[in-house]
Amino acid sequence: MEGKARKPSRPRSPNIQIYRPQLTSVLSIAHRITGIFLSLCSMSVVVWLVAAANGPASYIRFQGVIGSWLGQIVLLIAVFGFFLHVCGGIRHLIWDTAHGFELRHIYISGWFVIATSLMLTLVFWIASRMVWG
Amino acid sequence: MKRYDLLSPRGRASGLGSANAGFGNWWMERVTAIALVPLTIWFAGSLITRSSDDYNEVIGWLGSPLTVILMVLLLTALFWHIALGLQVVIDDYIHSAAKIWVLLTVRFACLLLGLTGIIANLYIAFGVPMSGGA
Amino acid sequence: MKTKSIIISSSEELPRTKFFKRFPVPKNFGISTNSRIKRGQTWPSPAGATHLKTFEIYRFDPDSGNNPQIDTYEVDLDDCGPMVLDALIWIKNKVDSTLTFRRSCREGVCGSCAMNMDGTNWLACTRAIDDMDTTAKIYPLTNMKIIKDLVPDLTHVFAQYEIIEPWLQTKTPAPDRERLQTPEDRAKLDGYYECILCFCCTSGCPSHWWNGDRFLGPAALLHAWRWLNDSRDEAKGERLNQLEDPFRLYRCHTILNCTRTCPKGLNPGKAIAEIKKMIADRKS
Repeated sequence: MEGKARKPSRPRSPNIQIYRPQLTSVLSIAHRITGIFLSLCSMSVVVWLVAAANGPASYIRFQGVIGSWLGQIVLLIAVFGFFLHVCGGIRHLIWDTAHGFELRHIYISGWFVIATSLMLTLVFWIASRMVWG
Repeated sequence: MKRYDLLSPRGRASGLGSANAGFGNWWMERVTAIALVPLTIWFAGSLITRSSDDYNEVIGWLGSPLTVILMVLLLTALFWHIALGLQVVIDDYIHSAAKIWVLLTVRFACLLLGLTGIIANLYIAFGVPMSGGA
Repeated sequence: MKTKSIIISSSEELPRTKFFKRFPVPKNFGISTNSRIKRGQTWPSPAGATHLKTFEIYRFDPDSGNNPQIDTYEVDLDDCGPMVLDALIWIKNKVDSTLTFRRSCREGVCGSCAMNMDGTNWLACTRAIDDMDTTAKIYPLTNMKIIKDLVPDLTHVFAQYEIIEPWLQTKTPAPDRERLQTPEDRAKLDGYYECILCFCCTSGCPSHWWNGDRFLGPAALLHAWRWLNDSRDEAKGERLNQLEDPFRLYRCHTILNCTRTCPKGLNPGKAIAEIKKMIADRKS
């Protein structure tokens, strides 16, 4: 091996840098991103419970944070992310029974997930506004 | 030349062989997911219908027996699902020596958060303030 | 073929959007230094041609020591056949004889000319030039080690195919005549035996991009299912033992780029779901 010229290793062709985004890969990464975002938001559920357990003052402080304009924006994004993840999750559960794999059905179910998530977020938002008065 | 280049392609591809495992995590991720669908819908629906409640009404609801049971189930399924899901993400993207530390941190954080949530709910249910009272 | 519909019924249909042609990552995101792509040269247009199309093609010369680059060619469509492979052969004959690519059957049955055209993996001999973007972009199969120009090194993916042991395994001694199989059992192989091992699916799978050293990929797993589903095979248990691994099988997250891109219209995503279901079935 001594004295033999080192061959540089072969280059790798580009992957995500050039691959076309399609409904398949975009919905899949959206499912993952919403999952990670919701994991972070789940901390706030625990914080909410601890705030409630600690008495009215801490609870009102928590409500203040959520009620602020930034809190409301994050809440709206979290609600949309929640519905996208749940609807996408149900789509995944159906795939786990080995049904719905024809390309046509993959696309129909994919668009259905997006439409349902948007609609449910809207319904949720309107309902919460109505209850709030 | 790296040692890796001297391995045969078959040797490189077969690695350490099959672990004969992987089904358990896959299955529990699905079981917790199925449990979470009705539980999160119940939770989200309750929050909407109660978004104008004052503090005492919220405490009354959180302390009621059915709510405590469902909340404990929700928190268990939620943090178990999160731990499994994040493990898959970490396995996918982190391959260095840092992987095991990130994995342990995430698992312990899920355990801590889940337990804290359940215990806070029990404090509410038994009417004991969690800290000295505020 | 181009489609206006947002519901895609066959993998032949091309993406229709003019925007969102690549993920919003930096151009050389995560690429190792020796794989970074530079702008290459523009080759002279053919004289007197009226019907021209621009092709941007990935080039890599292992003897030069340079990084890969993108060369620009103008192809005279009146002088050239209808498919992208015809354009590549025209360039090799008329403009640049150093352009290197694999090809054989020119009819979409051998799998040699698999490459990435306008962002999706397909066979060059069955992709019409008219279906390409205004500036056609030709890259080799995604995330493969490149030997030269558009020729990928398929050693690793073939080794992964070898791991699933793609041959009939029996303990019963071979019979004097054929092993019998009902037409229903034979029909179970349809949609799986037709795979031509072009590896469009495996090289289009993001899980294989990130974990290709351990995840077997859609092509190998489709064949694993072909053998698992063969009624004459007697090694289902051993095959499933080999497959049940958090990386070999369970890196599949049903992204389904594979089914979307298969040039033969096969369904690797479904095959992998069936394998997972078979593993679940034998646990209870």
